[in-house]
Amino acid sequence: MNVTLPFDLVAGWLQQHAVLPLLYALDLMDWEEISFGWSLFAVYGLAQVIIAYAICLPLERWRPVERWPDQKAVSVDIVYTLIARVGLLPLLTFVVFTQVQYALNGWLADHNLVAPTLERLVPQLLGQPVLTFLIYAIILDFAEYWRHRLSHIFNWWYALHALHHAQRQMTFWSDDRNHLLDEVIGFVWFMAVALLIGVPPMQFPLLVLLLRLLESLSHANVRLNFGWLGERLLVSPRFHRAHHGMLAAGVRSVNYGAVLPWWDMLFHTADFSADYAQTGDPTAEEAMATGSYAAQQWAGLRRLVRTVAP
Amino acid sequence: MRSSMPKILLGLCFSWLLAAPLTGAEAADRSVLVVNSGEASLSVIGLASQTETGRIPVLREPHHVMLTPDGKDLLLGDTAANELLFLDPSSFAIRKRITMADPYQLGFSPDGRMLVVTGLARAQVDVYEAGTYRLLHRFPLQSMPSHIDFTPDSGTAFVSLQGTGKLVALDLRAMTVKWDVIVGKAPAGVMYQNGRVLVAIMGEDNVAVVNPANGAVERRVRTGRGAHQLFRSPDGKLIYVNNRVDSSTVTLDATSLAPIHTYPIPGGPDDLVFAPDGRIWFTLRFARQVGVLDPRTGKLELIAVGRSPHGIFLGLPARPVS
Repeated sequence: MNVTLPFDLVAGWLQQHAVLPLLYALDLMDWEEISFGWSLFAVYGLAQVIIAYAICLPLERWRPVERWPDQKAVSVDIVYTLIARVGLLPLLTFVVFTQVQYALNGWLADHNLVAPTLERLVPQLLGQPVLTFLIYAIILDFAEYWRHRLSHIFNWWYALHALHHAQRQMTFWSDDRNHLLDEVIGFVWFMAVALLIGVPPMQFPLLVLLLRLLESLSHANVRLNFGWLGERLLVSPRFHRAHHGMLAAGVRSVNYGAVLPWWDMLFHTADFSADYAQTGDPTAEEAMATGSYAAQQWAGLRRLVRTVAP
Repeated sequence: MRSSMPKILLGLCFSWLLAAPLTGAEAADRSVLVVNSGEASLSVIGLASQTETGRIPVLREPHHVMLTPDGKDLLLGDTAANELLFLDPSSFAIRKRITMADPYQLGFSPDGRMLVVTGLARAQVDVYEAGTYRLLHRFPLQSMPSHIDFTPDSGTAFVSLQGTGKLVALDLRAMTVKWDVIVGKAPAGVMYQNGRVLVAIMGEDNVAVVNPANGAVERRVRTGRGAHQLFRSPDGKLIYVNNRVDSSTVTLDATSLAPIHTYPIPGGPDDLVFAPDGRIWFTLRFARQVGVLDPRTGKLELIAVGRSPHGIFLGLPARPVS
């Protein structure tokens, strides 16, 4: 049975009945080829949200770390998630990433240089999508560890990243709570690494969905660890909560890994203690924690300006 | 100047192979290759059984296929991988790969001497020497060059520029741009027909009839919203126009260009091939399917393939060419 078929058919329906008529009406039919990539990306993004909701919400209700009288602050995180996984960012990914990838790879091809890909280095990987993806995922996760760690080391960068840490009501919705500039930097970082190793954007959609699910789960408000061995194989909600702890915000944090804790173990930043820390950043202004989407973005910009030009 | 007669004869020979009625054994022998552009693979489908018999992995984002003039190789362009693949045109086994920048649409000049390649993402059209695949000339063209066709004397290539609404005429002898003219919103498929250039206007609902001498649009033939690609029937009497937004194919009389019949083809019809039994195989970009239309009855059968099927090719019989 082809597991991706239902997603693809929904994306196809969306493309045929909504996206193409819209492009046609807006005189944008020259984008029809790329737009199908966006439709696919958006459908898989929506599936990520629905599956994360179906799995994480019952877990959060079953064994919550914290209980709050209201969850107003969480509602803004839902907006972040929808923008990041269904709307604007997937669109940016396709319009920018694919164009840059084409241009760079084409330029290399003109000079008889072939952009490196794992499958060219190891031809046996052709036709082994799961194995190929796992290797790509490990390399990207390593790069993500360093991006994340650097975002804590440089004060100007943390001024933006503090928005992610300001949330005191951390739930599975909080994964995509990021400042737009931080997202752009993260996007450029990912793009640079992906171009270096030739990651195809939509070749492994189901596996991307699985990884994003793990990242949502790691932010969930749930008392859950994966046991001694499991904690050392995959990032758990407990492991990542230590990173979001009040005392860990800022320059001296722990547990930077997104999916794999291996890099924290390798670079001595892992904290496997059994505590479930309270989350938040005491240095962040209140607007970053409880403000509207716009107020949070604006607060991030203010903090960036204060840091760069005190 | 070298004579192109041998290549023309070979071409005629292959045309006969593609069009001739098949015996049961021959049909069982032949396969259809479908290029799954959205998941880096090729589906092999039995012509007689109409079932997928194999899936061939490629690197990134394959789109179109083109038989070499001598019929010995089937070329496949993988755009995101910057690779041109050489396949056996019967078994589809991959024989060779060469580096080529953004090979989207591929077209051999009628004399078989040049391969013209549009790089849609890179806004360029490359002219290669057929056989050696040495780059002869690059035309930087804004923007999104997509489809190609040629004058019968191989002197001019016409390329649609989806991003700027233009059709451009390239002089393949002087390697210069003869003219570029706006012909409509997001032009796509191009066909040289009876001394005129037909251009499917994807951002509109028509086929523009263009004067090849100066690019003037002489008239428009309404086919349906999102007119995308044009194909000549094997007997040369009809032109099939696939409409992307209306999801249909319309037949035009090849001489008068009068619309004859509209067939609904759900799922975003793109490329097609004519099977020897008279049926037409369409790739359906948004449905992960190939549609097999019997134009006599309008009946459409569907075959599951991979994501975003684009190019399609009816494999040659696995028998020596005499």
